[in-house]
Amino acid sequence: MSAESFLIAEALAKKFPGGRGKPDLTVFDDVHFSIEKGEFVCIIGHSGCGKTTILNVLAGLDSATAGNVVMDGREVAGPSLERGVVFQGHALMPWLSAKKNVEFAVRSRWPDKSKKEIDEHCQRYLDLVGLTGSEHKKPSELSGGMKQRVGIARAFAIEPKMLLLDEPFGALDALTRGNIQDELKKICAATHQTVFMITHDVDEAILLSDKIMLMSNGPKARIAEIVVNTLPKERSRETLHKEPHFYAIRNHLVDFLVSRSKRFSEELPAGYDARNPPLVMPGVETQPEPPQPKAEVPHPEKAVVVNFR
Amino acid sequence: MGLKAGALSLVIFLFFLGIWHATTVTPARSGGALTEYEQLMGKSAGKQDGLPTPAQMGSAVKKHLSDPFYDNGPNDKGIGIQLAYSLMRVGAGFLLAALVAIPVGFFIGMSPLLYRALNPFIQVLKPISPLAWMPLALYTIKDSATSSIFVIFICSIWPMLINTAYGVASVRRDWLNVARTLEVGVFRKAFQVVLPAAAPTIMTGMRISMGIAWLVIVAAEMLVGGTGIGYFVWNEWNNLSLTNVIFAILMIGVVGMVLDLMFGVLQKFVTYVE
Amino acid sequence: MTEVRKLYDANTDLSSPCGCGRHRTQHEHDHDARNDANSNDAQVLGSQAIESAMVRALFPADGMRRRFLKAVGANTAMAAIASVLPIGAMQALAQDKRPLEKKDLKIGFIPITCATPLILAHPLRYYAAEGLNVEVIKTAGWALIRDKVLNKEYDASHFLAPMPIAITMGVGSNAQPMNVATIQNINGQAITLANKHKNSRDPKQWKGFRFAVPFEFSIHNFLLRYYVAEHGLDPDKDIQIRVVPPPEMVANLRAGNIDGYLGPDPFNQRAVFEEVGFIHLLTKELWDGHPCCSFGAPTAFIKEAPNSFAALFRAVLKGAALARDPKNRKTIAESIAPANYLNQPVSVLEQVLTGRYADGLGNVKNDPSRIDFDPFPWYTMATWILSQMKRWGYIKGDVRWKDLTEQVYLLTDARRHMAALGHKPPAENHKKIIVMGKVFDHNAPDAYVASFAIKRV
Repeated sequence: MSAESFLIAEALAKKFPGGRGKPDLTVFDDVHFSIEKGEFVCIIGHSGCGKTTILNVLAGLDSATAGNVVMDGREVAGPSLERGVVFQGHALMPWLSAKKNVEFAVRSRWPDKSKKEIDEHCQRYLDLVGLTGSEHKKPSELSGGMKQRVGIARAFAIEPKMLLLDEPFGALDALTRGNIQDELKKICAATHQTVFMITHDVDEAILLSDKIMLMSNGPKARIAEIVVNTLPKERSRETLHKEPHFYAIRNHLVDFLVSRSKRFSEELPAGYDARNPPLVMPGVETQPEPPQPKAEVPHPEKAVVVNFR
Repeated sequence: MGLKAGALSLVIFLFFLGIWHATTVTPARSGGALTEYEQLMGKSAGKQDGLPTPAQMGSAVKKHLSDPFYDNGPNDKGIGIQLAYSLMRVGAGFLLAALVAIPVGFFIGMSPLLYRALNPFIQVLKPISPLAWMPLALYTIKDSATSSIFVIFICSIWPMLINTAYGVASVRRDWLNVARTLEVGVFRKAFQVVLPAAAPTIMTGMRISMGIAWLVIVAAEMLVGGTGIGYFVWNEWNNLSLTNVIFAILMIGVVGMVLDLMFGVLQKFVTYVE
Repeated sequence: MTEVRKLYDANTDLSSPCGCGRHRTQHEHDHDARNDANSNDAQVLGSQAIESAMVRALFPADGMRRRFLKAVGANTAMAAIASVLPIGAMQALAQDKRPLEKKDLKIGFIPITCATPLILAHPLRYYAAEGLNVEVIKTAGWALIRDKVLNKEYDASHFLAPMPIAITMGVGSNAQPMNVATIQNINGQAITLANKHKNSRDPKQWKGFRFAVPFEFSIHNFLLRYYVAEHGLDPDKDIQIRVVPPPEMVANLRAGNIDGYLGPDPFNQRAVFEEVGFIHLLTKELWDGHPCCSFGAPTAFIKEAPNSFAALFRAVLKGAALARDPKNRKTIAESIAPANYLNQPVSVLEQVLTGRYADGLGNVKNDPSRIDFDPFPWYTMATWILSQMKRWGYIKGDVRWKDLTEQVYLLTDARRHMAALGHKPPAENHKKIIVMGKVFDHNAPDAYVASFAIKRV
C-alpha cells in the first residue's frame, strides 16, 4: 500500500452496540485496502460481511466505528459529488422521467449551467448507456436493465472522481446483465474511471475488475486476500473462458466463497497481516511486479498452501 | 360493457323508484266534507304524511334547482347560496389546516425526536369529535362564523398532519441517499425529493380530511345556524319537511362526491408507480 | 334611571341650583352633562332633565315634595305623576330627532310564535321606519342566542324572560348585564304529551317520564317544575327534564326520546298536526298572563347606542300592539309562516294565534287568549322568576330581589315609550300573580319560596 494510492482505507471497523449486556456486534474489523487511480476493484463476500457498509463508508453515507478513508489526499467525511454511487435498487425517482433523473444529478453538480447545456450533457450520457429514445419514459415504463442504465448514466454524468457500485446487476437476467457489463467495461475503459464495485457474481468480477478483494464471513469480517486479475485488459465476455488463467482464478474465487471464507473467520491463519492482506495471482507462479508495494509479501501460492490448506 | 352497465344502473334505479312509489303513495281520500277537526288537522290541504313519493321528491328537486340563488332575507336563501356558504367555510378551514398541517407534518416526519415529542398530543387531540370543540370555540373566538371555520380546521388537520408526517418519514432511504451523494441543499431536497415522494400520501390525507370536513360542516351549521347547507337541513327539520331534508341529503352527497372526485384527480396527478 | 329615582327619593335635597339636584352649581352640572354626553348617555340625561323639570314644577318647595313622597312612596309618586303628565311622550319627543348611533343591527330569534312582535316589525318595516337596517336572524337554540349576544354578534335579541336575569347574575354563563325591554308574549305555551299517554292525564302517573323544556332558565322549566311539584312529584327525582331546542321537540317526541314537553308554540300545535301528540293543557291554565319570551339587549349596547335602542324599542312595541289585536291574527299567521321566519304550515300558526285549535284528542277548542302579546315588563314577573330560580337552587344565598328586578326589567322605559306611542301603559309597577291558585306576594318572595313543600333551598 503506497501512501500515494488514490484511495486508502485504513483500519476500518463497524460495530453495533449489543443491547442489554450483550457484547457488541462487530461486523468487520481491521479492514485495510487501497485503490489506484483508474483501477477497477471488485469486492466479493457472503452476505453479512459488511460489503455494503464499506461501500457506504467510502461514499460518505455511513461512518465507520473506527478507521478512516482518504481519497485523493482528502479524508472522506460525508457524501460528495466526487463519488458517484450506483445503488443496488437503482434508486431512481419514480416521478421523474429518465432524463429528469439524470438532470437532477447534473443540476446538482453544475447549478450554473444553462438549461441547454444541461440538456445536452444529460443526453450524451443517456446515449452512452444506450437509452436513446427512452429519455422521456418514467422509470415504471422502463425494464429493469434500462432502469439500471439510467442509474449508471446518472452516476457517470456528474463525472465523479470515483464510482461506487453496489451490486448493480444483481436483479437482472443473465442476458441483460451481460450487455450492461459490456457497456460498463467500455465506458470505464474510455474514461479511465476509478471504480469500486460489490458483486456476488464471480464471472462478473473476473470480467470487469483489475483486483478482487475477498472478504471473510462476518461477524468480524476482514479482507482475507486480494486476487490480482492477470487476464489481459482487452478481455471480453465471449472469449473470457478461453483465457489461460481464467479457470485458475475462477476456481480460486469459488473455492474461497464455498469453504475458505468461513474457515478464515473461524481462525485467522498464521502470519496474516490485516494491514497487508496477501496478494494472490492464481495460475501465475511468479510474484506480480507492478502492484507490489512491499518486499515482505509472501508467495501467493505458498500463502495459500500455508494458510488455507 | 359500459353501455350494458349503464342500462343495468338505469333498470336498478327504475326498480328502486317503483318500490319507493309503491310504498309511499297513499290512496286519495274518499269524498265527503271534512269536519272542522279534520280541517285543523290539515286533512284537506294535501298534507304530506311521512315520506314523500318520488313525484313529490322530483318536483321539490326541480323547484330548488330551478332557482338555486334566490335570497329572501337572512333566513331563507336558495340551495346554491347555502352550498356556497358551506363550501366557503370548508374551503377556508381546510386551507388553513393544510397550511399548518403540511409544514408541521414535514418537520415531524423529518425529525424522529419531534415525532416522539408531539405524538402524545396528537394522539389525545385526534380522536376528539370536532363538534365537541364548538362550545369552546364559541366561547374563546366569540364569533360563530369563525368558530365553524375553526371546527373544520381542527377536524381536517389531523389526517393531513399524520399522513404528511408518515409520508415524509417513509420516503425511501435510497432517494435521500441519492440526494445526499449529490450534495443537494435542504430546500431542494425538501421540495424536489421529499415532497414529490410523500405527495401521494399527503394527498390521501388531504382527501380524507376533505371528506371529514364536508361531514362536519353540515353538523356544525346545524348547531350554529345562520347559513349553509347544514342550516338548510336544520330549518327544514324545524318544519319537519322530509322532502326538503332528503333533497338536502342528496345535495350533500353530490357535492361530497364531486369534492372527492376532485381530490381523486389531484391524487392521480401526484401518484407515481415505483 | 337611578338618577331620576333620586327625584322621587324623599331624602334628596332638590334645592340645589342646578337642574338635576346633583350639583352645587349649574356650571358643575353642565360639566358633568358634557362628560355624560361624551359617554353616550345623552338620551338618559335628556329625559332626566325633562322629568326633573316637571317634578320641580309640581313641587316648587322642596319640603313639600319630600312630604308628598314620604306619604305615598316613591313608586306611587312616579306613577301618579306619570299619569297626570305625559312625561314619556315629552321625553320621546325630545329624543325623536336624536341621531342613531348604529343603524345596521342584528337581532336573533328562535322560530316560535312568541317572537311574533319582533319578527312582525321586520316585514311591516317598523324597523326601517325608525331608520334602522335590521336583520332578524333565525337561531338554532337558546344557548346559542346567549353566546351570540355575549359575543356581540347580535345587538339585541329575542330572549326567554328569565334569561337576561340569569345572564346578568352570571348564572349558567359569564356575568354580563342584560336588560329586558319588553315582554314578547304572555301565555302561548302548552304541555304536550305523546299520543301513547292519552290515558295518563294525571301528573301523579308521570313518575319516570322524560320531559323537554327549551332552556334551563325558561318559564317553561319553572312552570313544569311548579306543576309537577304541586302534584307531589319532585321534578329533580321523579321525572327527567331535558333541554331540547324547540324546533327539535316534535322530532324527539315522534322518536320516543321524550314523553312530552312544556314548550313554546307552534311546536305544541305542530305535534298535534303531525299526529304524534296531544295538548294536555295550555300554560294559561296554570298562570293566566305569565310571561314567556322577552326582547332585550346587553346593557353595554343600550349605553353605547341609546337612540338606536330606543328606536328598536319603539318598533318592537309597535309590532306587539299590532299582534295584540285579534283581528290581525290570521294575517299575521300568513306573514310569519314563510321559510325566512317560522317556516311552518299557515294552518298551525293560525290555530295558535286565533286560539281555535284541534287538541289532538278529537276536540276543537276555542280560547282566544291562548297567546297574547302584552309587552309590559312587570317587575312582579321578574321577582317571581327569581323566586323560582331560588326555589330550585339555581341561585343560592340572599337575593337582592328588588335591585335585580328593577335593574334588569326596563319598566319605566317601556312605560315611557308606550305612552309616547299612545299605547296606554299601566300606571302600576306590580301586578297580581296567581299561579295554580296561589297568590304571589312580590314583597315577600323569601316567604313565598319557603312556603313550598318541594324545593332545593
